[in-house]
Amino acid sequence: MSDVPLIELRVPVDPASVSVVRTSVASLAARFDFTLDRLDDLRLATNEACALLLALGEPAGPTLIASVESPGEDTLRVDLCRAGSSTRLPGEESFAWTVLHALVDSVEVRDADDMVHLVLTASANAVEPA
Amino acid sequence: MTSDDALVTRRETDRAMLRELAAMSPDDPGRASLRDRIVTSHIPLVVAMAQRFRDRGEPLDDVIQVGTVGLIHAVDRFDPDRGVEFSTFATPTIIGEIKRHFRDRGWTIRVPRRLQELRMQVNSVTERLTSELGRSPTVREIASAAGISEDDVLDAIESSQAYSTLSLDGGDDDDGPILGDALGESDEGLEYVELRETVRPLLESLPARERRIVMMRFYENKTQSEIATEMGISQMHVSRLLAKSLASMRGSIGDD
Repeated sequence: MSDVPLIELRVPVDPASVSVVRTSVASLAARFDFTLDRLDDLRLATNEACALLLALGEPAGPTLIASVESPGEDTLRVDLCRAGSSTRLPGEESFAWTVLHALVDSVEVRDADDMVHLVLTASANAVEPA
Repeated sequence: MTSDDALVTRRETDRAMLRELAAMSPDDPGRASLRDRIVTSHIPLVVAMAQRFRDRGEPLDDVIQVGTVGLIHAVDRFDPDRGVEFSTFATPTIIGEIKRHFRDRGWTIRVPRRLQELRMQVNSVTERLTSELGRSPTVREIASAAGISEDDVLDAIESSQAYSTLSLDGGDDDDGPILGDALGESDEGLEYVELRETVRPLLESLPARERRIVMMRFYENKTQSEIATEMGISQMHVSRLLAKSLASMRGSIGDD
């Protein structure tokens, strides 16, 4: 309910870090009673978003910051950021965005203080029809 | 009593137990022990089927264990009113579970045995709950139904993706016929207008089944559970194929 992050991780920009971020997000989503479908979608989305940030390349910062907060009872907002600019990300019409939009409720891109943020919002949605 | 008589008597007992189980309410206190007795009584069926897979390099005990999971599913789903013999009903389920076991053994990196077993357990509980609840279950629900911790469930889920971030080549688990392979393949996906030219070759580079799954998930907006049902594979398998496909497509995109 608050804007204090539930977790905040600082990890090296390295493919090996992605699993740490992904696993932490998944474990939070489990605590928020995400259905397996939704949990797995958020996991995949986190993975893809991290991959996008990892692919920014130099001269981007060496640290990836992941912070997760809960803006609503059954909602998680995953903010992934690193130094760099969104101009280096693939365009909105690329497949990467199609994937992200299909996996989570919303995806935002934000530039702030020379950092590029990818913000994923997903809800537990325990009542979806099978 | 001749051995034939004994066999007939045993069959009668089995039938009676199955009828009794089907008539019981789900929270009947006697249910668990009756279910156990039925399962135990049918273990020889599993053993017979497991023998057929004995030359595949897996310990027979493991195969029997996996087959027993299939047997338990069959016991839970069997409806005596349909007039089908239980053994007829159970055979495909048991064989299916064993085949899936062999198919799912295609780990790219070695996953500890405990995790493989957890994963299998979570997989089968997930399938059962999905059909019982009519939706995808939560981790809490899976943990409680399987009698394991939520962390175990998460471990199982993560381990099923073990290679997704490492493997860009794939091509490891396409052995064995599955329902998905038998379904007619239509290339409807490639007609989507929003498909960009860059995506098309990537999609076409995927094996047919993976392409179909990617299309269903990202362009038809089906859930993983829905895709799993339609393709006749487990949700975890869908998840794994999706992760693998994305990694492989990303690998190709990254080259430009």
